[in-house]
Amino acid sequence: MMDAESRFRDPSSLFFQFDTIRRYIIASYWVLITLALPLWWTTTSIERLPLPTSEVYAQAQKKLEIPLAICVDSAFSSHITSLQRSIRDAASYLDVQAHPGQDCSQFPGYAILPGEQILVEDRKLYYPPSADNLASTLASLLAPKMDHRAAQYSPRFRLSFTLLNEDSSAGQVITSWDIQQAIARHIHPITSALGILHNYTIESQVQYHALLAFEPRSLSNGTVFGLTPEDLTIFINSAEWTLSSSSSNDPVFHFVLFIPSARRRPLTILNSDGTPSSSSAFLIPQWGGIVILNLPPPPPTTLHLDLPDLQSSFSSFSRHLLTLLGFPRLPPSISYSSSSNTSLSSWQIDTLLRQRIHENVIQSHNTLQSTVTLVSQIDGMPVDEQVQSQVQGSLSTLHELFRYASVNLTFAEMLAYSAQALTLSSKAFFHPGMLAMLYFPAEHKYAVYTPLFASAMIPLLAAALREIAAWRKERREARAVGDVREATSGDGPKVDTKSVL
Amino acid sequence: MLRTSLFLISLLLSSVFCLENINEEFEEYLSIKSLRDGRVTSSFSFTTLLRDAIPRDPRTLAFDDDTSQHYTLFPLSLGQILRQYAITELHLTLNAGKWNYDTWGYPDEPDVGVGAELRAWMAGDSISSIDERWQGVRNALAGLFCASLGSLDEQRTTSPRLSFPPEGALPDWGLPHELRHASHASEHVCTENLTPFLKLLPCKSLSGLATLLNPHRIFDADWHGIGLHVLWRPEGVEVRLNVQLVFDPLRISAQGKQDWSFHSLFDRKVEKACPVASSTRVSVELPNSGVYRVYPEPQEIRDGKAYYSLKNNNEAWNIGTMWPTDFEYRICHAALSSPDPALVPFSVTRNLLGPTQDRGQLSIVLTNNQQDTLQLLYLETMPWIVQFYLHTIRVHSDNVPRDDLISNISYVLPVPHARPATFESVLTLPGRSTLTFTMDVAKAFLRYTEHPPDAQRGWDLPPAIFTPLNQSLNGSMSLGSRVYTPSLLVDLATPDFSMPYNVIIFTCSVMAFIFGSVFNVLTRKFIVVRVRPDPPRNQSVGTEKRLEDTDSDTLNELNTSKSGVH
Repeated sequence: MMDAESRFRDPSSLFFQFDTIRRYIIASYWVLITLALPLWWTTTSIERLPLPTSEVYAQAQKKLEIPLAICVDSAFSSHITSLQRSIRDAASYLDVQAHPGQDCSQFPGYAILPGEQILVEDRKLYYPPSADNLASTLASLLAPKMDHRAAQYSPRFRLSFTLLNEDSSAGQVITSWDIQQAIARHIHPITSALGILHNYTIESQVQYHALLAFEPRSLSNGTVFGLTPEDLTIFINSAEWTLSSSSSNDPVFHFVLFIPSARRRPLTILNSDGTPSSSSAFLIPQWGGIVILNLPPPPPTTLHLDLPDLQSSFSSFSRHLLTLLGFPRLPPSISYSSSSNTSLSSWQIDTLLRQRIHENVIQSHNTLQSTVTLVSQIDGMPVDEQVQSQVQGSLSTLHELFRYASVNLTFAEMLAYSAQALTLSSKAFFHPGMLAMLYFPAEHKYAVYTPLFASAMIPLLAAALREIAAWRKERREARAVGDVREATSGDGPKVDTKSVL
Repeated sequence: MLRTSLFLISLLLSSVFCLENINEEFEEYLSIKSLRDGRVTSSFSFTTLLRDAIPRDPRTLAFDDDTSQHYTLFPLSLGQILRQYAITELHLTLNAGKWNYDTWGYPDEPDVGVGAELRAWMAGDSISSIDERWQGVRNALAGLFCASLGSLDEQRTTSPRLSFPPEGALPDWGLPHELRHASHASEHVCTENLTPFLKLLPCKSLSGLATLLNPHRIFDADWHGIGLHVLWRPEGVEVRLNVQLVFDPLRISAQGKQDWSFHSLFDRKVEKACPVASSTRVSVELPNSGVYRVYPEPQEIRDGKAYYSLKNNNEAWNIGTMWPTDFEYRICHAALSSPDPALVPFSVTRNLLGPTQDRGQLSIVLTNNQQDTLQLLYLETMPWIVQFYLHTIRVHSDNVPRDDLISNISYVLPVPHARPATFESVLTLPGRSTLTFTMDVAKAFLRYTEHPPDAQRGWDLPPAIFTPLNQSLNGSMSLGSRVYTPSLLVDLATPDFSMPYNVIIFTCSVMAFIFGSVFNVLTRKFIVVRVRPDPPRNQSVGTEKRLEDTDSDTLNELNTSKSGVH
């Protein structure tokens, strides 16, 4: 009966007061928390799909070698090694294969043939065998330096022609121009010849009030006005002139035909020493070209510019366009003959193609590398399926380009590959989804969770610590009891002996 | 093969926006009128006609756009948008203020609904392509005009069947044309909209009539609005940019006279003519009665209007009207003689009644000012936040229930969070009567993120539109001038916006409390602490007794713990 009573009296004999049960309960809490942690982690973390980082780095180490076949006439066979070396020095991305004694009629290549004077025709170069410098001439033909004024590659360019009347209410005003004929005569030959590189959208407009943001300098008692080189840098009044439009993302080349106001004629461009320059056109790198057209003073109030009037302006524009597109110039010593009436030789077009291929590959390597670096540096940056597929797409396009470049690709096909790789890589780099989480840092998440987690964790921790302490104490006691037991059992005989003693 | 090539040729011919030697014409026109209440309305319209051009056929959208666009007068940036999205007809208006039809009469430009209103006619073989282009043109125009037209999304887009017939013609491509209409009453027109607007004009605001468009005066006017209208007629594509203003000369006049001139209204004169405008005309509507002087001497007087051509004159133009006497409000006369004849055939008031934030009643009171029966096309394009109960529609004519006066109801149900309601019907107003239309509405309970930043201000509901239906002699119906009601402000239940943090904190406290209690109960260790020696116990003590003891033990336990605390 006493046992029964003590069962009521002593709570530790209740089943839920057993130490083991209690420890199971506390442990199960902790097990639950540990199991829930990964779930919480996955539901609250940002989607960051893996990017092929190592592949990107490996790809960026590779260099594209564009095969280039030259057929060297036997007259020049002694120059072959120096030719190869000088081309390689000028452009390390070219893989020059020299075919001595052939004329490149069986396979695509550049033939170097003996001739009376230095002459370029189709893909043939005629060179007098007596003249030296063949190596440097060939290098400047096949691998000239890229012009800094050229714009970056884009699959499509917009060419925007604007006729600006500075102040049409001041007298003469040009209300129309033969823009379509002028474009057909001066611009279309270029755009069709370079059609394998880019697509073009052409547009034109006329504006009647295009005030300058500054006052041109008055020379010789106000009869001549001049633009200093500093003025040219602020010539474009982009706040007032509606030159560009927002309807597409394609890069725009602006060609501005500026008609100075009747009060300010003639308007000339000054050299840096203040003397009037003979040129009335100037180029703004990567932006476009400007031609100042001073009309003769006799004042018919409205004017139409016909094709002869536009002749000189549009030949400037066509030169500007070639520069902006990065079209290489022929070295001055070389003359050019062609069966077709275009002034663009296949040598130059091919060179531009190779340069653009090389540039695109480098550019897409850089963009891919920056994307991967950026993603690895910023933890809060999401990487979704689109970015992943764009990076992979760009990478696989590059792989294909590299695999087939040395085998059987034409320059145009290589350009198409490189352009696609560039487009995909920049799409991935500028993907708007990558910005999303940068503005919601992890600290905010913790700030929201703290009121819940802190208040729940403290009792849990306290209970766990107390239980561990109790358990250790118990063990120590148990050991002590065990020791005592051991001691008592071991000492028994001693006591006996003592008692004996 | 022949068929496809024919098709391609026809496509090339039809995407004409860029035919050789397109003839472009630009005209300016300003009409000024003194109003009954002493105010002055002026309406500018700048029209560019692109002769023989046709809007782009939407079937060519699939092809790469290599066709070039060459304009001399037509705004290129607008042409690009129209071309890129193959828009046949487009109307955009940005207005501020309430047009007072009863004292001002019909406006020269009918689209006077408050805020932004955009509608476009587009051809297309699939709804999705039309919706895509509608979204594109919205965003492009938002960029062009610096206006928040991007908010005219599918939650505000409707396609009313009757109220907005195309103003021009629709090309016959064998494709159906669709209308998309959206309005946003809380959009405010301001200088940042006017500046890009002026850049679309060939002479900007530097010469011609546009010189008068002085932003300081335009946005000081009692009512002001700018509009862009693109439409196609068989002779070509027409772009009309218009500015409509209502000034109050009495407000700026020291003597209380209604005299006005270019200089007094706009603080500017027309100094230089726009050299490329084929015509620059100003018309001044002559008052019906009284003594007045219009200066300078008009070149032509026709139909009660004085006309000026500002083309060939070398001095600055300052057209104006002078009265010798002070302005007298007609209201003083009303008691004496018969009131003035009504300027509009009917007047309308629209209200949202009901004090609560969940229910209300839409009430429309229409008064027919004429002897004749009037038929009105009534259009509501209501965002889903206000939901109609059509079965509660009641129509009273002079307080007599007349359900026969409403007919031809068409209703497109709203989809919460996605689509507004479109309610169109025909109301018949007997002569000299007042018609009351009421309908119960429910106000939606919005999601937390759907509230605008100034949620407490309420939501602006777009204006209702009434269009008189005129029956011609041969029985066909034609639409009269649209009448826009003012917008309504609806007060929806708004939450306390600090709520999420309160909720987080509150929920966390409750969770922590429950967790703590449960955890405590599950893991508490009970210990018996005895404070007095065990009394000798009788063996026959029952369970109850023992329980009592346990209780006292617990008490003791409490005591000890208390004493432990002390």
